[in-house]
Amino acid sequence: MTPVIPDTATIKVSSQPSSNAPPAIQADTLSRVVPLGERQLTILDNVSLTVAEGETLAIVGASGSGKTTLLGLLAGLDRPNHGSVAWHGETVSSLSEDALAKRRQGAIGFVFQSFQLLPALTALENVMLPLELAGANDAQTRAQDWLNRVGLGERVDHLPKQLSGGEQQRVAIARAFVASPSIVFADEPTGNLDTDTGAEVVELMFTLNREQGTTLVLVTHDLELASRCHRMVRLARGKVI
Amino acid sequence: MNLILRFVRRELRSTEARILVLALALAVASVGAVAMFADRVKVAFANQANVLLGADAMISGDRPLPEAFTQQALAMGLKVTHSTRFGSMVSAPAKDGGAAKDSALSDVKAVSSPYPLRGEIEVHGANGERVPLKANVNAGEVFVDERLATRLGIKAGDTIEVGKLTPRVAQVFAEEPEIAGNFMSASPKVLMANADVAASELLGPGSRATYRLQVAGDRAQEFADTIKAKLGPGQRLETVRELRPEVRSTLEKSEQFLGLAASFAVFLAVVAIVLALRRYLKRELDTATLFRTLGAGQRQTLMHFVGQFFVLALIACALGVAIAFAAQAGLAFAVRGLFASTLPPAGWMPLVKAFATGLVLLLGFAIPPLVALSSTPPVRALRRDMPTASGGGALAVALGGAAVLSVVMMQSQDLKTGAIFVGGIVALVGAATLLAVALLWLIRRFVRSGKLAMLGGARSWAYGLANLDRRRLSTALQIACLGLGVMTLITVGFVRTDLFSAWQKSIPADAPNRFLINIQSEQVDALRKLLPTTQGTKPAAFYPMVRGRLIAVNDKTVSAKDYSSEQAKRLIDREFNLSASSTLPPGNKILSGEYFSATEQGVMSLEDGIAKTLNLNVGDRMTFDVAGDKVEVKVTSLRKVDWDSFKVNFFALVPEATLAPLPKSYITAVHLPAGDNKTLPTVVAAAPNVLVIDVSEIMTRVRSIVDQVASALEFVFAFTLAAGLLTLYTAVIATQDERRYDTALIRTLGGTRSQIRSALIAEFSALGGAAGLLGVLGALALTWVLATRVLKIEFSASPTVWIVGFAAATGLTLLAGWLGTRSVLTTPPIQVLREGA
Ligand SMILES: Nc1ncnc2c1ncn2[C@@H]1O[C@H](COP(=O)(O)OP(=O)(O)O)[C@@H](O)[C@H]1O
Ligand SMILES: [Mg+2]
Repeated sequence: MTPVIPDTATIKVSSQPSSNAPPAIQADTLSRVVPLGERQLTILDNVSLTVAEGETLAIVGASGSGKTTLLGLLAGLDRPNHGSVAWHGETVSSLSEDALAKRRQGAIGFVFQSFQLLPALTALENVMLPLELAGANDAQTRAQDWLNRVGLGERVDHLPKQLSGGEQQRVAIARAFVASPSIVFADEPTGNLDTDTGAEVVELMFTLNREQGTTLVLVTHDLELASRCHRMVRLARGKVI
Repeated sequence: MNLILRFVRRELRSTEARILVLALALAVASVGAVAMFADRVKVAFANQANVLLGADAMISGDRPLPEAFTQQALAMGLKVTHSTRFGSMVSAPAKDGGAAKDSALSDVKAVSSPYPLRGEIEVHGANGERVPLKANVNAGEVFVDERLATRLGIKAGDTIEVGKLTPRVAQVFAEEPEIAGNFMSASPKVLMANADVAASELLGPGSRATYRLQVAGDRAQEFADTIKAKLGPGQRLETVRELRPEVRSTLEKSEQFLGLAASFAVFLAVVAIVLALRRYLKRELDTATLFRTLGAGQRQTLMHFVGQFFVLALIACALGVAIAFAAQAGLAFAVRGLFASTLPPAGWMPLVKAFATGLVLLLGFAIPPLVALSSTPPVRALRRDMPTASGGGALAVALGGAAVLSVVMMQSQDLKTGAIFVGGIVALVGAATLLAVALLWLIRRFVRSGKLAMLGGARSWAYGLANLDRRRLSTALQIACLGLGVMTLITVGFVRTDLFSAWQKSIPADAPNRFLINIQSEQVDALRKLLPTTQGTKPAAFYPMVRGRLIAVNDKTVSAKDYSSEQAKRLIDREFNLSASSTLPPGNKILSGEYFSATEQGVMSLEDGIAKTLNLNVGDRMTFDVAGDKVEVKVTSLRKVDWDSFKVNFFALVPEATLAPLPKSYITAVHLPAGDNKTLPTVVAAAPNVLVIDVSEIMTRVRSIVDQVASALEFVFAFTLAAGLLTLYTAVIATQDERRYDTALIRTLGGTRSQIRSALIAEFSALGGAAGLLGVLGALALTWVLATRVLKIEFSASPTVWIVGFAAATGLTLLAGWLGTRSVLTTPPIQVLREGA
């Protein structure tokens, strides 16, 4: 599969031209091995990839092919047994857990398949959380602003359980973008939604992504969704094919 | 910090956080309420006992007391009275020019008005009954007791000589309230006015006298505590506790019983906290994961959770303290009729302690899991089923144990009790785990063997039991918590019934209530015939007694100055009563060394409390001055004396041969039924030198305290029981969420309601049965330890309590489980499933 060259005209790129700037994500020979009883099971085998600044990348593959594992490694939520991950030219896979957390703060956004909203927090409070953790003092206005942008301006005080699945995922998207991250990772964001709602959510994500100029890494098994990305990486049994 | 507070506000919306706060608040409330109430009861008892002092508190000194003490007492709104006590010869004036005058060494007390502050001076009425005397000792007057009146042959209206004065005898009294200190004092009593002391010229320089300040009022205890720090040399705070061993023993046991109730409340608090925490922490795991993915470092996450938890704990403890205050007020109101006087106001200390208890327990148990929580790998956001670091393992056990130990010590201020409790918990948790494992193994075999199927239609039972096996860890924890709760409640039942009545019985109805002292050897036979026989047949026993002053220990001269404790100083200042017995008296127990044989010489057996006070041990040599003769003895054994029996007991016993050459008198004790007005006058007529000491007043006090403890315990234990049942309910429904989800799932898969019902019944009966078994065994062990090691009373265990305890544990678990899960049978399963596991 030939990588699709990003159409720079449609992307608001950061001040530097993309050709000189280091790639947003650079993964080299990533391997992940998990113990399986006595034996070792390789669930990700020697995967290398590069994601340019502002690029959107889809990771596709059958269930169990290692997509989530790869996403976890790229996002620094998990550590590879072999290989390295760098964000904007800085190797992060060798950082300490806390140093890594600091790098994530405000720079990386997540959208999960199972929304991962805190049930006791209102929509607004859920969106405020990344800003509050980073110590921002305009958390409330910015969160409110983002809820407006995802079309939930009227639902700020609702608890997750009072929202539909699509609405919950939109809150999660607002939360992912609120801190103006440079990279957003999404793991099957439509996996728990019906087709129409899924499409709306995807639309929203791509729109925001374009407006913000973020780099997006999207895991999905939906090829149609994947085709909307600049580029696609296909996994099978832990290997890029 | 702001974020923490904002989070606490948000957290409090969730059921888990609310349950945690509520469970904690309840735990703190029951600890606080019980401790506070027990405290008030204890102070009430101490006050009642202090009536024997004639005041609520008494300070005495070898020289006149500083005026500042009196000012302080007045400033605290207390009633005060001063008295000066000394020994003096008192004589009846020679009659009609006769040469010889009768005189007697008397115990003179010069008092100011009003006197006494507590209790009453009593006189004999026309029919031999005792009536309180409402009169003050005025200047120029004296009150003398019946002993002196008999001795000197005087009556009211006569005059006597006291030093340079010749006051008029205004009253002849039977007893005055201050009977605590002079139990064995051989001298008759005289009360005179303080104002007359100077004119009597009795107290010249160098004369021995005790100057006392007696106070009474609500803040007497507070006054005593303040003054304690200001006491100079030769000044001391007198309490009945230190003066009367029977009273001390009674008060101590009462306090132990009440303290036990408070410790049980702590036990239940531990169960409640552990369970509520588990549910809460499980939920917080998601928050922690999210924090980590959003870039919060491990430190930041930990600080956040500890901070948030601390604030929640503060809220809960404050709430608990408020409930405690209300609850103890309720308890006090409920028992208002039971006490001789109104309960003294509550002190704040128990509430402070309860607050600290909650905080220490909560943080002790929560910090290890919180540390584990904050190191949650962020990848858990992608994989919810990731194994997570569990409770913190050894650290959690160690910190939790330390928390419980410090709390129990804070409550009982006694390392031994604390160690017993912590040991009990550790043993129980260990036993629970073993039992749970064994039980689950049996269940697995049973279910697989197919025997269950033969019992007919029992597939759902098999499923219910298999459920327990599936949740092995929660099951073990649940059994442990339930077992701990059941153990506590059964033990409470035991303490209330068997142990308490064992103690009550230790004061027999026919315990001696009169002590006769100063009997001469030649009078013994005559008196034996006059006195009622003890236990129907045996003639009263007469014990020889020699008074001696301790002058040296291990050849080193001792004086009061060598000792720092007030009690030790007093012992050195006063005379010891030495007695002889060739065998160990019944009710005494050798703690160390061996009781001397009849042939040994120069040896002594000492009561263990007095030995501790004087810092003496087996092997030490003591030298006494007995009427000018030096008697040297070696301590060869330490004894424990059963003061509760009210029998004649001695601190110091020597072989009969040691006592033989010394000047001695005899002592005996009899039980005179109320209304017996004849025996004593005959005795006094036959032997006028004999002094009769009435301890019926002390016994009445002690008995009434014991009875009141019984009533108070009834209420306190009922309260503990209620708190315990609530805790057990929490324990049972702890795994309710999982169970609800599972049950709903089974229903979607076609399980019928009756199948689910049987499964739940099987599950809860097995759970309750295991907890009941564990609780009964634990209670048996705990009660035994309490009886033999802490309360030192006979261990008895009635099987009814066990059986009832076991049956109730099983039944109540079933009931609570049923009530907690029942709703799942009536809600549509889809609703439960949508809410998630
Ligand atoms: N911690 C783990 N232990 C054991 N097996 C794992 C673990 N994580 C993932 N796997 C296995 O690795 C394979 C890839 O998983 P995953 O990355 O979740 O696949 P995908 O997201 O493509 O469905 C699966 O077979 C999964 O069961
Ligand atoms: Mg996946």
